[in-house]
Amino acid sequence: MQVTSAIREPLVTGGKSVNDVTNDICRRVEEKPTKLWFIAFGISLITLAFGTYCLYRTWWDGIGMWGLNKTVGWAWDITNFVWWVGIGHAGTLISAILLLFRQKWRTSINRAAEAMTIFAVLCAASFVLMHMGRPWVAHWALPLPNNYGDLWVNFKSPLVWDVFAISTYLSVSLVFWYLGLVPDFATIRDRATNKFSKFFYGTLSLGWIGSAKHWQRYESVSLILAGLSTPLVLSVHTIVSMDFATSVIPGWHTTIFPPYFVAGAIFSGFAMVLTLMLVVRKVYKLENYITIEHIEMMNIIIIVTGSIVGIAYITEFFIAWYSGVEYEQYAFINRMTGPYYWAYWSMMTCNVLSPQLLWIKKIRTSIVATFILSIVVNIGMWFERFVIIVTSLHRDYLPSSWAMFFPSFYDIGDYIFSFGLFFTLFFLFAKYFPVINMAEIKAIIKSSSSQKGKK
Amino acid sequence: MEKEKSFLLGVFEDEDVLLHSIKDVRSTGVKIHEVFSPFPVHGLDEALGYKRSRLPIAAFLFGMMGTSLALFMMYWMNGYDWPMIIGGKPYSPLPTFIPITFEATVLISSFGMVTTFLLVCNLKPYGKPRIFDIRSTDDKHVMTVDLVVNNKRSVEELSKILKDSGASEIIRKDFN
Amino acid sequence: MSDNNKKYWKGLEQLSNDTEFIKNADREFSEFLPIDESGNTSGETGRRDFLKFMGFGIAAASLAACEAPVKKAIPYLNKPEEIDPSVANFYASTYTDGGEYCSILVKTREGRPIKIEGNALSGITKGGTSARVQASVLSLYDKERLQGPLANKNKTSWDALDQKILAELQNISSRGGQIRIVSNTIISPSTKNAIAAFASKYPGTQLVQYDPNSSYALIEANRLSFGSAVVPSFDFGKANTVVSFGADFLGTWISEIEYNKQYSKTRKLGPNKKEMSRHYHFESILSLTGSNADYRTPIKPSQEGLVVAQLYNLLSAKAGRTSISTAKTEVKYLTEAANDLWNSRGKSLVVSGSKDVSVQILINAINDLLGNYGSTIDITNPSFQKQGSDLAMFNLIKEASAGQVNAVIFYNCNPVYDHPKGKDLEASLSKVSLKISTSPRLDETANIVNYVAPDHHYLESWNDAEPKRGFYSLGQPAISPLFKTRQTQESLLRWSGNAESYYDFVRNFWKTNLFPKQSTHTDFDIFWDRSLHDGVFEVPSVAGTQPSFGGDLAYAANSINKNYKPASPEIELVLYEKVGIGTGSQANNPWLQEFPDPISKATWDNYFAVSKSLSDKLDVKQGDLLKVTVKGKEPVTLPVLVQPGAQKETISVAIGYGRTSAGKVANNVGANVYPWAVVDSNGTISFNITEGISAEKVSGSRPLAQTQTHETFMGRESIIQETILSKYKQNPQSGRYFPQISTSEGKKRPEDLTMWNVHKYNNHHWMMAIDLNSCTGCSACVISCQAENNIPVVGREEVLRRREMHWLRIDRYYSSDADLKDDATFKELEIASENPQIVFQPMLCQQCNNAPCETVCPVNATTHSTEGLNQMAYNRCIGTRYCANNCPYKVRRFNWFKYHDNKQFSDVNISMNDQLGKMVLNPDVTVRSRGVMEKCSFCVQRIQEGKLTAKKEGRRPIDGEIVTACASACPSDAIVFGDINDPESAVFKLLETEVAERAYNVIGEINTRPNIYYLTKIRNKEEAKA
Repeated sequence: MQVTSAIREPLVTGGKSVNDVTNDICRRVEEKPTKLWFIAFGISLITLAFGTYCLYRTWWDGIGMWGLNKTVGWAWDITNFVWWVGIGHAGTLISAILLLFRQKWRTSINRAAEAMTIFAVLCAASFVLMHMGRPWVAHWALPLPNNYGDLWVNFKSPLVWDVFAISTYLSVSLVFWYLGLVPDFATIRDRATNKFSKFFYGTLSLGWIGSAKHWQRYESVSLILAGLSTPLVLSVHTIVSMDFATSVIPGWHTTIFPPYFVAGAIFSGFAMVLTLMLVVRKVYKLENYITIEHIEMMNIIIIVTGSIVGIAYITEFFIAWYSGVEYEQYAFINRMTGPYYWAYWSMMTCNVLSPQLLWIKKIRTSIVATFILSIVVNIGMWFERFVIIVTSLHRDYLPSSWAMFFPSFYDIGDYIFSFGLFFTLFFLFAKYFPVINMAEIKAIIKSSSSQKGKK
Repeated sequence: MEKEKSFLLGVFEDEDVLLHSIKDVRSTGVKIHEVFSPFPVHGLDEALGYKRSRLPIAAFLFGMMGTSLALFMMYWMNGYDWPMIIGGKPYSPLPTFIPITFEATVLISSFGMVTTFLLVCNLKPYGKPRIFDIRSTDDKHVMTVDLVVNNKRSVEELSKILKDSGASEIIRKDFN
Repeated sequence: MSDNNKKYWKGLEQLSNDTEFIKNADREFSEFLPIDESGNTSGETGRRDFLKFMGFGIAAASLAACEAPVKKAIPYLNKPEEIDPSVANFYASTYTDGGEYCSILVKTREGRPIKIEGNALSGITKGGTSARVQASVLSLYDKERLQGPLANKNKTSWDALDQKILAELQNISSRGGQIRIVSNTIISPSTKNAIAAFASKYPGTQLVQYDPNSSYALIEANRLSFGSAVVPSFDFGKANTVVSFGADFLGTWISEIEYNKQYSKTRKLGPNKKEMSRHYHFESILSLTGSNADYRTPIKPSQEGLVVAQLYNLLSAKAGRTSISTAKTEVKYLTEAANDLWNSRGKSLVVSGSKDVSVQILINAINDLLGNYGSTIDITNPSFQKQGSDLAMFNLIKEASAGQVNAVIFYNCNPVYDHPKGKDLEASLSKVSLKISTSPRLDETANIVNYVAPDHHYLESWNDAEPKRGFYSLGQPAISPLFKTRQTQESLLRWSGNAESYYDFVRNFWKTNLFPKQSTHTDFDIFWDRSLHDGVFEVPSVAGTQPSFGGDLAYAANSINKNYKPASPEIELVLYEKVGIGTGSQANNPWLQEFPDPISKATWDNYFAVSKSLSDKLDVKQGDLLKVTVKGKEPVTLPVLVQPGAQKETISVAIGYGRTSAGKVANNVGANVYPWAVVDSNGTISFNITEGISAEKVSGSRPLAQTQTHETFMGRESIIQETILSKYKQNPQSGRYFPQISTSEGKKRPEDLTMWNVHKYNNHHWMMAIDLNSCTGCSACVISCQAENNIPVVGREEVLRRREMHWLRIDRYYSSDADLKDDATFKELEIASENPQIVFQPMLCQQCNNAPCETVCPVNATTHSTEGLNQMAYNRCIGTRYCANNCPYKVRRFNWFKYHDNKQFSDVNISMNDQLGKMVLNPDVTVRSRGVMEKCSFCVQRIQEGKLTAKKEGRRPIDGEIVTACASACPSDAIVFGDINDPESAVFKLLETEVAERAYNVIGEINTRPNIYYLTKIRNKEEAKA
């Protein structure tokens, strides 16, 4: 690993000392919130309020407020759900898999990425509740003892698998994230001047003192957690994809879905991380911690996953033709040329074509280009889910039932709700929690700085 | 904790120096009470001669527990307690149980392990830790030597040993 | 018919026929129920209120399931002996609406009629029903019916009303004034008797019968051809070749239920019956009947006469008779029709819906030529279902406007709305001093009269009917009147100074006129009870020789030459009657408004149906607004519906819409086009408008609420499997499609590929077989299902969002020209042919044994029963809609909103939003709450009831005792339901052989193993040419 870093650009520039790291990161937490932060936070609060109103109407009057019908039973709700879950993949992936691969460059981004993961998964979960006809009995989807006697859930249903997968993923990511925060909370606690934050961060830091024994256990715990999270990350979107793959609907009933969904998830996850990190980097002046090096690494992952997704799309078509199943064939022809062709082609452009630009180093290393592309990719991934769900449903087996789906005001409003929720949480995090994992940076700063020395 | 009242703290700037000094100090036969660092220092535990952590074993056991619990739950609920004909499938088809079994395994093993970790490290909210030197969470590595345990040597002797091994400063800390 | 096994005796006294019983026979229960709020101690009122409370109570109770508090549950103080709580009583009765007739059994629960079933004992309808008959029960609980008599729009009492009217009538008749009783066809002999009684009291009285959609031309033609002005009775069951010129005899023509029964008999095929009738159809619009034809030719209205003449000439040539001289018109399949007719002389039938006397004369001539009189047509035993005389009504309007009429009584008719000259009539009525309407609601006509004496709903009245000579039918009330209404016949008796109750009147009529006609019973009371129990009394038809044809062909030929042209580029217009709304008399019935038209699948509107080519010419798309002007008439603007199979230059539009005073549901739905009908110099009304029509596109559009928007089945053989008769004879499996799946061990049948060994259903295993060849698409089953299963009406807006709730739908597919091509693209397959073949496929929950919906439900809300039923537990459903998405047949329905007790739907879903409407709910079926999934349950409540009855009697259920609502409603016996484990059951016997021949599962390749089999559609025609 030393070797790899030997040929690397320094991961932390500006000849930061360990003490600088502490100051740079903690300052953000300690100083008064900036005007900019208040504006951003205010906007996300307003968004959340508006979204909450739409959500209230949807729940009060019924799912009929959406544009769904007897043929298209899922549309924006599940599209958004899968989209958010997908986004929620980057964080744990970065901290778990890259930790296993000892990819040091992860250190400056994993904290924020994990936070993003957790908030994204929360948004996804909100759609699980939202899409139910009777959300007030949502707990029936859990295998709880009940007053109906021995009435249990149906473990054959992919939706129950989802319940387990999402909740496990959420809670394990939460633990993983919090564990990483503990030493940094201790740092802040020890720097804290006023009583409140001393108590607040003191409580959060669980009385961490950083003794060698603790660090030893800490390391092995995070290593095992990483080991457990890696298959977990992969399993989550695999199981989400089974909602479709195990069904009988042409365009859903596809064995390629698990790998294809996972790749797509990482794809959109990294894009979202980039979008957010580029903002945080600017606002918090963390250019020395999140360097062009980092951005380039992430872009490379985006090229790879983007291409995998592209190949998956093409494979689907090949299989549809090769299988000789007329329903399958129609489903895919209809995606390309049917009434929803525009959704299909925007998906193709955003997901398959646009990332290819990143082969060019100039674009790969340009902040602006990366920022735009990262957003484009997430638009594309939203359309991917829309295409899979709506265009498969709206024309399935019996032509007599073929129908169109048109979103209503409340479809949009409830989507906006999730954005409000996400950004509100993210801005709170960015203000009150250390956005970069100090302990880990400190651990690598010497090696990277010394690299600089050698040059 | 009664006897551990007064300590000698050696403060180090750099983890490499720290690692060397630990060797030196231990070679002189001085018992190092503990070392506090702001970040994990590789090789520190070996240098201090700590045994490997047994947490992985705990994780494994919890994992097994998760697996068996999940399988039992599903077989009992769907297969025994209230069997229902679903989609022409058998009451409890194993393949459809795999995903949940996996998730439960991960969930219980990670939670079990982390809980164990918190317990053995005695980490808890409102825990009142005994802080030797607050810089140890910022940028300094602090080696503590228990004067009671090392009462054969005088304080001066100990501080000399630390100083020679590279400590940037020596502090005497008493708790009462 | 499960209902045949039921006893309809109104208790033991009826058998033993004790005098006390006879005295109370007309009452719901003979003993006095001491429930009384009005302080009136006569049994009558108390019992009525009691029944109402009962109704409310049970309705509320049936709603308890959707977390509504139980209201007004009144316990029995002492139980009437023929009512057991939660046990249904069936009363034989008679449905009539003008000339529309159906012998029915009324299912009542705790005294509330909740469902109409067909009466299998009737020799006419033979247990069949129609959508309108099925829906009629809801009209009973329409709170917009008049609740009491009105004098000049003000509430009044019956006594006051009678005094006023008597005074005026006496005064009029003392001055020798003219009194007219205007009505639609009256098929009730007793009613006619009552009118006669009235007429004898007031000599100036005349009865004027007219029909909104009359058969006057047919009657006239028969008068001119045979000297008897009647509608003959037709027997399509005896016809091997049927040729129809625009007669929609399966949909709306004269006696459609009867004809459905007869027709479907000739279309049934099986191992032991390999012959079926051949049906040619020549029409301008695509009618339900036309869509069932083997050969169908679109012709222009202005051609019709010449085409009929052409057919006559072709046949007369064969018969070696002199042909008539008319302009030659060649239309497709006419020669073939002539040949087939000639070859099946005496076993053929030619009918026409034409409202032109001379055309009908030619039709008579043709049938005479073919010797069909006496075999397929019987004129000595005529049908009385259409007696309306256009002329009589025409004259009435003339007299009235000339001020020669002093009093008019509108008996359950609404000419101001449904007569072409309604406006003139309205104007002329100002010259009539006494105007009375007996309409049960304040309709367009009742709006402009002095007195309204509202009639009962037919389910509240005693009545009889003679739809066909010798076929008598008795109608008894199934509930005490809900409102202070009075039966019109009784009103007439009162006004003619006769205090007798109409019940006694009918009874006496039967005693004097019908009792002698039979010899089985020597005691009238037994005869009466027997008839009451059966609902029908039929005397053998008169053999008598058929009168010989004496029509004036030359006259006919002349007028045809005058009125028809071989070909014209002009746009022409046809008014037609819809299967659902009919003439508009039941327009305020939301079930019928949301009833998808069997052909267009449109609800809640009428529209201009135009051919593709015409729509291109007019540059309009589906839903665009089109303004059509008929010379000298009010223009009408309606949305356009592009209708495959419609004649190229013909626009068609349905009557029965555009009511202005029918009630919340119907008012201003669509537009009224009756005024467009052509009335010629001698009053004959024609629905074909061939001159002075201009159509122009106007800005804006009104999307049509269709339940099916895609027209073709995309050549998907695993959904629709059809063939032609000749091929079927060679190979019974012809047309079948056998999907195969390639595996490592070669090709396999889907059902052989499964991971699991299948569950066995050893006790009962319910299955259904649907014969696509018998199903005429009439959709009676759709409404029957809606009534049986408390299915909400959701209104136009929601249907537009594709959220209709019908558990059972009829999929209608048009053929596409591309079907015959091997290399057809999907785009090509989407386009329906210009004159397509049509197939109807009833689609309901297939009760799959490997149900995709069950597997995906997270909470086990939908599971499989041990009898093979796919069950839905509403109260467990959390509404993820995954099951609906995963249903390959898309038969699951989701409660997007709360449809009951919700202002948003109170105007359309009347059966769940007001206390009165709720009385129609079936207490055995839960009213679903919002956010849950629902679907066809194979009428599990009927299955359970049947099993319980059998269990109580310690036996297995007998086949036919348990029937689903759809199967029992079907007039063409296309749906067979039963227990496949019972070797005696019809479904077992049918499938035993057909599984190897015509029976198939829809989309068999995905191996859902449905419990519903479809039998291939077989057309009696030659190989289709590409």
